[in-house]
Amino acid sequence: MKYLIRKGGRFLYNGLLLLFSAICIFPIIWIVYSSVKTKEDFMMDIVSLPARIQFKNYYSAFIEGRLYMNFISSAFNTAITVIFVLLFAFTIGYALARYQFKGRNFIYTLFLVGMLTPIYALIVPLFIQLKTLKMDNQFYTLLIPYIAIRLPLSMFLFESFIRSVPLELEEAAYMDGATVWCTMRKIIFPICKPVMSTALILAFLDTWNEFPFALVLVTDDKFRTVPVGLTSFYGQYTTDYTILMAALVLSALPVIILYIFFNKKIIQGMTAGAVKG
Amino acid sequence: MKNTSSVKIDKKTLFFLIAPGLMIYAFVVIVPLFTALGYSFTDWSIGPNKHFIGLGNYAELIKDKIFWTSLKNNLIIVFANIIIQMGIAFLLTVLLTSKHTKFKALHRTVIFLPVVLSAVVVGYIWQMIYSSDYGILNAVLRMIGLESWIKPWLDSPKTVIFSVTVPLIWQYLGIPLIIFMSAVQGISKEIYEVCELDGVSGIQKARYITFPLIFDSIKVTVMLSISSNMLVFTHIYVLTGGGPGTSSMVLAQYAYNTSFVSMKLGYGSAISIGIFVISFAIVILFRKLTEVRKK
Repeated sequence: MKYLIRKGGRFLYNGLLLLFSAICIFPIIWIVYSSVKTKEDFMMDIVSLPARIQFKNYYSAFIEGRLYMNFISSAFNTAITVIFVLLFAFTIGYALARYQFKGRNFIYTLFLVGMLTPIYALIVPLFIQLKTLKMDNQFYTLLIPYIAIRLPLSMFLFESFIRSVPLELEEAAYMDGATVWCTMRKIIFPICKPVMSTALILAFLDTWNEFPFALVLVTDDKFRTVPVGLTSFYGQYTTDYTILMAALVLSALPVIILYIFFNKKIIQGMTAGAVKG
Repeated sequence: MKNTSSVKIDKKTLFFLIAPGLMIYAFVVIVPLFTALGYSFTDWSIGPNKHFIGLGNYAELIKDKIFWTSLKNNLIIVFANIIIQMGIAFLLTVLLTSKHTKFKALHRTVIFLPVVLSAVVVGYIWQMIYSSDYGILNAVLRMIGLESWIKPWLDSPKTVIFSVTVPLIWQYLGIPLIIFMSAVQGISKEIYEVCELDGVSGIQKARYITFPLIFDSIKVTVMLSISSNMLVFTHIYVLTGGGPGTSSMVLAQYAYNTSFVSMKLGYGSAISIGIFVISFAIVILFRKLTEVRKK
């Protein structure tokens, strides 16, 4: 009897936890299944599951609503940012981890300052800087802050990782007459794979989702990224709930796919980064 | 242990390794920090006229009602997050680290998912949840017979600040949860085993063992929460834009409105510097307070 009560208690307790998680995820599920309803179906009953599934809303959002333009822009910004962040984070991280030189501590401090600085303090002066140099509203405008903002965290990831790699391999390579570039490319770079993938995924998420810079620095429609595109999209389709929902699902899709495959790495990397920052 | 290479590196190589990244970084982060300070001493609106007015902007800031309303709203959001989000996260940590819990990885993955979504998407998801006619929240309330609770969630000045806080709590619940959970996993299992032998209840274990032993992690998380919620912008921008009136205005939104809607760049810079100083001060204050408590 006692055993039964205990077992029932555990069952109930696990049930409650599952209910909590279900409530947590429900808003997202609701958006997803409502996005395949017709507008009429949705307006008739907003909670019920779709009677039949149709993807017209996705067509309306992506093609007719021209969300694909924002996707191209976001994809471009994200890809280039990720490449340069990894490149610079790797080279600077390597130099700081391996060599003593004048100004090393100064560079360190500069990057630490960047991790503590709220980006809102930078937006106004950066906007003015870019405008004066006529570099605002160009296809490359957003790349500049994106690469810079993402750099400190990625750089410290690489730096601390390279520090933990024993020196012997590199020294052996130098003995054999390898140059610094060659050693970096052939020895250090391949070793850095695990930290590389973490830095890559986090830079991707951050850049894909970024909003304030994209809102302020770029006004031309064709350079707008997905998050900013969504805000003007919402203005146009305020009452077409199901099309809006399709747009939301589409814009979150790359991130959710990444999360499905790499959630362990993402959870680890994001919390470690958050704690350090 | 030696950790720097004995091999000398020539200056040119070093320059090529560091300079390109550092230049972009300095252009975006370091230079604007100084120029922001400079602009904050001017009366610059968009256009060529820019006069040095000393501390004029800061004097105006101190008298600016909207600034203080925004600060108050930021503080409400910070406290609500610390108490509600971290309370839930702590409770979940205790439950999810218990050996009776099944599907631990599933719970963790599901609760963390919103963290990776963009703030804009989260803002619009909640816009739809709160929507008066076609929102799921009012529909659910109607279904379970709580019709009297139905209200225009984003349009009533008195409660709107709480309506915009809930999405923040929801989206970032995963972060304190994961930090707490990894801290708990660092606590030796033996302590809990001894307690079980002594017949200590689950609640007592949570209160007298788990809580004090992960207190350092809680501190870190509180600081994280302060610094991110003092700067919250995108959610508010999407949900209400600070309205109705200024009832959900926050500092970053106010800085944005001043700089880019009213185009008062000098005053906007002063607000940005103000945000920076205030959030820094709060973090330091919190650090000092918790140090005293430890002794």
